[in-house]
Amino acid sequence: MTTAADPVSAARARLTPGAQAALVTVLVGCVCLLLGPNLPWLTAWPAAWTAPATQWVGVGAEWFLNAIKPAARGFSEVLRFPMDWANFVLGATPWPLLVGGATALGWAIGGVRMAMLGFAGLSFVLASGYWAQSMNTLALVAVSVPLALLLGGAIGILANEFTRIRGAVQAMLDVMQTVPTFAYLTPLLLLFGFGPVVGLIASAIYAAPPMARNVMLGLERVDAEIKEAAVMSGGTRLQQLFQVEIPSAASQIMVGVNQCLMAALSMVIIAAVIGGFDDIGWEVLLTMRKAQFGQSLLAGLVIVAFAVIIDRMSAALALERRRYDPRVAYSLIGLAVVFTVVFWSHLPDPATFTLLDPLAAAVDHGLGAFTADNGARLDAIKNGAMFYGLLPLKIGLDDAVLDFTWGFQWTAAMSLALYALALVAGLLLALRERLTGGLLLVIAVGMLETGIANLPWPFVLTATAALAWVAQGRGFAAIATGLLLTILLSGLFERALLSLYLSGAAVFACALVGGCIGLLCAVSPLAWRIMRPICDMLQTIPLFVFLIPVLMFFQIGEFSAFLAICLYAVVPMIRYTRHGLISTPGEMIEAATASGATTWQTMRDVRAPYAAPTILLGLNQTILYAFAMLVIAALIGTTGLGQSIYLALGQADVGLGLSAGASMAVLALIADRLVQGFAEERRRALGL
Amino acid sequence: MKSLGFGLVLSALAGPMTAAELGAVDEPIKLAINEWTGQHVTTHIAGEMLKAAGYQVEYVTAGMMNQFQAIGDGDVHATLEIWSSNVSDEYAKQVEAGGVVEIGDLGLDAKEGIAYPAHVAEICPGLPAWEALMDCAPQFATADTIPLGRLVDYPADWGTPGADRMIGLALPFKAVPAGSEGALITELRAATEKKSPLLITFWQPHWAMSAYDVKFVDLPVGNEDCFTDPAWGPNPDAVNDCDFAPSRIFKAAWSGTEEKWPAAFEILSNYQLSVEDQQPMMGAIDVDGGSVETVVAEWMAANQDSWRPVVDAALN
Repeated sequence: MTTAADPVSAARARLTPGAQAALVTVLVGCVCLLLGPNLPWLTAWPAAWTAPATQWVGVGAEWFLNAIKPAARGFSEVLRFPMDWANFVLGATPWPLLVGGATALGWAIGGVRMAMLGFAGLSFVLASGYWAQSMNTLALVAVSVPLALLLGGAIGILANEFTRIRGAVQAMLDVMQTVPTFAYLTPLLLLFGFGPVVGLIASAIYAAPPMARNVMLGLERVDAEIKEAAVMSGGTRLQQLFQVEIPSAASQIMVGVNQCLMAALSMVIIAAVIGGFDDIGWEVLLTMRKAQFGQSLLAGLVIVAFAVIIDRMSAALALERRRYDPRVAYSLIGLAVVFTVVFWSHLPDPATFTLLDPLAAAVDHGLGAFTADNGARLDAIKNGAMFYGLLPLKIGLDDAVLDFTWGFQWTAAMSLALYALALVAGLLLALRERLTGGLLLVIAVGMLETGIANLPWPFVLTATAALAWVAQGRGFAAIATGLLLTILLSGLFERALLSLYLSGAAVFACALVGGCIGLLCAVSPLAWRIMRPICDMLQTIPLFVFLIPVLMFFQIGEFSAFLAICLYAVVPMIRYTRHGLISTPGEMIEAATASGATTWQTMRDVRAPYAAPTILLGLNQTILYAFAMLVIAALIGTTGLGQSIYLALGQADVGLGLSAGASMAVLALIADRLVQGFAEERRRALGL
Repeated sequence: MKSLGFGLVLSALAGPMTAAELGAVDEPIKLAINEWTGQHVTTHIAGEMLKAAGYQVEYVTAGMMNQFQAIGDGDVHATLEIWSSNVSDEYAKQVEAGGVVEIGDLGLDAKEGIAYPAHVAEICPGLPAWEALMDCAPQFATADTIPLGRLVDYPADWGTPGADRMIGLALPFKAVPAGSEGALITELRAATEKKSPLLITFWQPHWAMSAYDVKFVDLPVGNEDCFTDPAWGPNPDAVNDCDFAPSRIFKAAWSGTEEKWPAAFEILSNYQLSVEDQQPMMGAIDVDGGSVETVVAEWMAANQDSWRPVVDAALN
């Protein structure tokens, strides 16, 4: 209205939201940098401002847990029946029958290939000598999966019926997937008592969300005409739902079943930490404790074998419409029965099979020999990565550049020179109409100079809020700030920053390496044929197994933790990058080829932009995976939230475990929403 | 064998010598199997003793840190090798709540200390004297700890005895928590394979002591004052400037065990096992690849004298 306001609003109009956000962040960063030395509370959140939140949570949770304990114990008694029953059936059935059964099932679902898979997979389990333990594991999965399917299905249907609760349900599913299981094992133990039931419930909690999400998605996508037809033919709501909508959504729901199975299987090892059940996870833990890589790899591969069989068969069930001649399946089962009866008295005890033991010993020996031969080289790799990569990122150039790391000492003059350089470069970018880029450069240099673990809290809060505002708008910015404040108040902020640094570094490395491998797999089918089983193995083998070779090579420390996280978190990046790049519509590629583009030009200018939303989704998964692995990495001595959670598990400290778990979930959720926001924006830009 | 005999005399003096009722022989007594081999040996011997007395025994796998909830609830009835050095707070809570009772020492003489694989003596020639570490520290430095030497300490949830020693003795070492026992063993294995320097907080009895030829550093022998009075010991400004306080290894049971299986309770309470007996059995299992059942059965057959009296005393 007044003339004075006009230039301001004109300037604001010229600034994109990104530039505005970056500008505010730079300003707050400068203030922190200038005032930090004089106002210590700006740099580190004062201990006096923290509330004993972990204790409150502990007291509150214990009161609540004790209140509902009787009901939970009753539930656990009820669950014990199917558990014992499944255990008995699988344990008592002679192994030829189960091998034959799996082969027959494979045939019925997917013909010769699936039958071969079932046969080979179970034969491997048999040869490993872990048959009895494997059957116990299978019994656990056999009970927890229906439970998870039921739970997930119910949540999905409810969210579909009552659209108003959908937002809350989404948030709850996120929490179920991001709070590390270790964090709530202690409360579960208190509630449900000792034994496999705890593992069963933990895995059901973890495996239900994918089912719920897919049910929601499937029901949402049912064609409006189909729904209308159901309404017009006068069905009640329940009839519409169960006789029309759910059958129409069947293929999407089957994807959920598949994901649910895989998630349940990946939790097997967590159940073993409590014990009470002589399963394959316990075997992995025992061999881990003795640092026997070969044996723990063998036990871990048994889980991989199950995962691959279950994954491929349930995927075939979901996708393939064709069914194979049941007579072949019946004759396969008949063959198994005849085999069992004929050799009844000669059937060897599967525990005595040690066919693969020499192989395991050889792998173990090979690992030792490799470490011995390449000790100096491995140390050089580790030192290089620590000195020039991880340390500066963690504590900043200021503290990381020392005589014995880089060969010279970092001085205040160098800091000034670096900032000046960043400012000049930033200004140049700004003058070339790339203000946001220039500001981001200044921010990045400031963060590198300070180190992630030393970032002042006002800066972290502002930067997160700014990012959140750009990605998802004002509401999410407020939520993100509020969530971060709870971490600050509970006194876990320092550890959260350490976690952020380690997973941040890992995600960055994964994005780079995974992106390149994904690209390679997209252009070369041979590369994908090699990478695919490796990806499968990395995702389903118990994470613990990686820790031994990584430790042998690089010892306890952050670099080992970093590598372990990368090994696990790189997989979704590879998968999604490849998937995004190869699923570009044919017409677009034809158009590009017709206008004379080379393969690489097509890749860069057509496929890559089109694949961006998918790749961002992969990045999102990589972030979640990295956070999940942080807790496991605590077993090789990292600091940060992961260690707190593990410590709390050991000391049965409910409050600390839940608080640290919640902090971890907060970080993961914020990162998840940020990336999703940007992916959504890209998708809109592409008109998808 | 000597310490076992001694333990038996002690327990004979302390324990009630009256014969006890067998109790519910139809219901299995559940013994906790934790994550390490020594505990498997300890538990299987106790289990076989109970079987010899006419009981049914069931071995239940249970995480060491999480087992006390199970014992307090009566889902598991006894655990026979608890190390005072890394017992979880949960134990104290359960004892206070009345579900768990301690049933005496196991008689296993444990030693904890700062240790190193034998080849490290060539890298730092003054070892095993602790003073040698003063000058050797740079040899032990790594990227995480530079310029200090690196000490691989217990996992954080077992406490930080190694770090306490380094501070107490003013040694230029930074303690890095190992995270898990598997990580400690992997460090030992890697250092032995690579002939690289390693300083580690470790304990015996443990199979790795002989497998990787682990030696303890000689620390100043301490007493109570060392942990409370800074003036005591080589470092006048700090406490903890001495060797580790001996850790106690003891047994615990569900509080209802005594009433339900009186004789079993007495057997478990009086049960003793020495390092000299346990360590060779651990070697036979972890190094030579024997199964716990056969190794323990062989020992039971050869050492009737040492366990039979405990069973008989409870029954007759």
